[in-house]
Amino acid sequence: MSLLRYVGFRLVQSIPVLFIIILVTFLLTNRIPGDPVSIFLSPGAPPELVAEVQARYGLDRPLYERFFNYLLGVVQGDLGYSIHYGMPVTEKILERLPVTVFLTVCAFAFAISISVPLGVISAKRRNKPTDHISRIVSLIGVSTPSFWIGLLLIIFFSFYLGLFPATGLVLPWADPASIRGAETRIDVLLMSVHHAILPTIALGTLQMAQITRIERSSMVESLREDYVLLARAYGFPERTILRKHAFRVAQLPVLTIIGLGLSTALGGAVLIETVFEINGMGRLIIQAINNQDYELVMGTTIVFGITYIVGVIITDVLYAYVDPRVQYGGDS
Amino acid sequence: MGSRTVDDAIDQLGDAESRPATVEEKNGGLLYILKEIHKDTSATIGLYIILFVTAVAVFTSVDYYLLDYAFAERFLYHPERDPTGGQRLLPPVGMESIYGPGVIEHPLGTDHRGRDILTRMIYGTRIAITAGFAATTIGLVGGTIIGAVSGYYGGRVDDVLQRFTEALYAIPFLVLIIAFMTAFGRDVTFAMVGVGIVSIPVFNRLIRSRVVSVREEEYIAAAKVAGAKDHQIILYHIIPNSFSPVLVQATLQIGVSILIIAGLSFLGFGAQPPTPSWGQMLAESRDFMLPAPMYSVWPGIAILITVIAFNLFGDGLQDALDPRTEN
Repeated sequence: MSLLRYVGFRLVQSIPVLFIIILVTFLLTNRIPGDPVSIFLSPGAPPELVAEVQARYGLDRPLYERFFNYLLGVVQGDLGYSIHYGMPVTEKILERLPVTVFLTVCAFAFAISISVPLGVISAKRRNKPTDHISRIVSLIGVSTPSFWIGLLLIIFFSFYLGLFPATGLVLPWADPASIRGAETRIDVLLMSVHHAILPTIALGTLQMAQITRIERSSMVESLREDYVLLARAYGFPERTILRKHAFRVAQLPVLTIIGLGLSTALGGAVLIETVFEINGMGRLIIQAINNQDYELVMGTTIVFGITYIVGVIITDVLYAYVDPRVQYGGDS
Repeated sequence: MGSRTVDDAIDQLGDAESRPATVEEKNGGLLYILKEIHKDTSATIGLYIILFVTAVAVFTSVDYYLLDYAFAERFLYHPERDPTGGQRLLPPVGMESIYGPGVIEHPLGTDHRGRDILTRMIYGTRIAITAGFAATTIGLVGGTIIGAVSGYYGGRVDDVLQRFTEALYAIPFLVLIIAFMTAFGRDVTFAMVGVGIVSIPVFNRLIRSRVVSVREEEYIAAAKVAGAKDHQIILYHIIPNSFSPVLVQATLQIGVSILIIAGLSFLGFGAQPPTPSWGQMLAESRDFMLPAPMYSVWPGIAILITVIAFNLFGDGLQDALDPRTEN
């Protein structure tokens, strides 16, 4: 099966999951106390007025009909209307989504670039000091709340040393004209890196720790395989064995963990965006809840789900790329 | 296939002295597990910290529910009420800030309302530990039931249940809990239930894979022939056989739950002020990071140490229960 067909196949496969996500979100949001009627009208409003507002928001219809209508909208890319921002939910989300995706990608890039070498070295020098240090680092990493790391980073690097900004994020592809203090593309890129470093570390530490753990145990397994023994017997240099024989296969469990970690990271983005006051999806959902902007709450939750599904499909594709034995959806 | 034959059993009877510990011994004896844990220094440290923190949580709960903070007021400070004439944002003892020097009466300093940070930290243990245990129990029970039923019956039942838990996992869990709490309530009770629900998939997957492999064992067939009903087989044979991986996962999950609960409180979803909780203390400290940075440090350390303890103990438990793992 070709790559494109595989991706298409996986997208079709995720339709039931997506349906359940929308259903759960719809039912949850529907249960929230306080509807548009109570927001716009005072408790003593005349019944005709209440009926009118209800009719305008379709609240006089039965639940299943409203769900069906909403579903129809979602399929067409219409997630409803944000009362607070006075604009379509889809528009608002598209404005914020890139920020969260950028932050998450940075966090994983940071996590992988540290954890993979650390895990490999750890496995190679098992029970030596390097190994112990890497294990302690990953133990602390999985046990520390990400938002606390964020607070500590702000206190130390922003307030105490004054090295990095404490709030905000600049997207690297943002228009220089729209960013204060930036004139050229280079300025924007520099500002982007400058702003992204602290939130990236805060969000990526947990992933880094988890990937290090898996990388280490996976490499330990892989180095025990028969073909590694055979390669040693042939007299290949240890470095080649490590790189060519053991490493590649050992990355499969790592990819699985990265896929699962996506959910944690996207959820963690809510916390990190709050700590660093970054206007992404995470902060959007909290603000939407506080503003009682329920169509926006629904929309953000669903888009969070979609982002996760797309992320998992990407890791699955990478899976097949790393392990040639795996074919896209093939029988073998 | 993993199932032992009569010959193996006879062989083992032959030299009972030298044979390795059997699965029954490994799973059955709590004493055996404790002995194994005792050999492992880091797991022992983890266990002691857990016992200590749990004791503090029980004690503070008694003081809160039965004594109405009488003990706290007599020996420490009131964890919730603003003190009259108390100095706000004092630094820890030995440090100095624009609010004055730290005093020995408040070893970790005071918060933005003049309350003693140490007292609030101690009383925050109650929320963290109760919520951690409660959420994990909900996930454990829910996941075990769904996983066992799903794995035992297979087929359509399996499909439907697994698709549903998969979908549950597809919404980033913090977002799902927040949506759930917005719908039902912002209190810590709903945080526990929410965290419990999102940890169902973890236990579900674990139990299901165990059940699928245990299902084909001969003694299950024997139990069926003997006339055992489905629910009896699941309850008396399959679930006890999955005991050890679940125990390990539950220990680790308590740590994860404490982290999530703290995160939720940090966002304002959880114990509401003035009830002290670690996450909420960190949230309140955010506005004073510049003048009183240490205020943001202490609650985090409490979370870190507690969660590390559960992770150390969980890892040690895994090594003790599974003879194959060697670090």
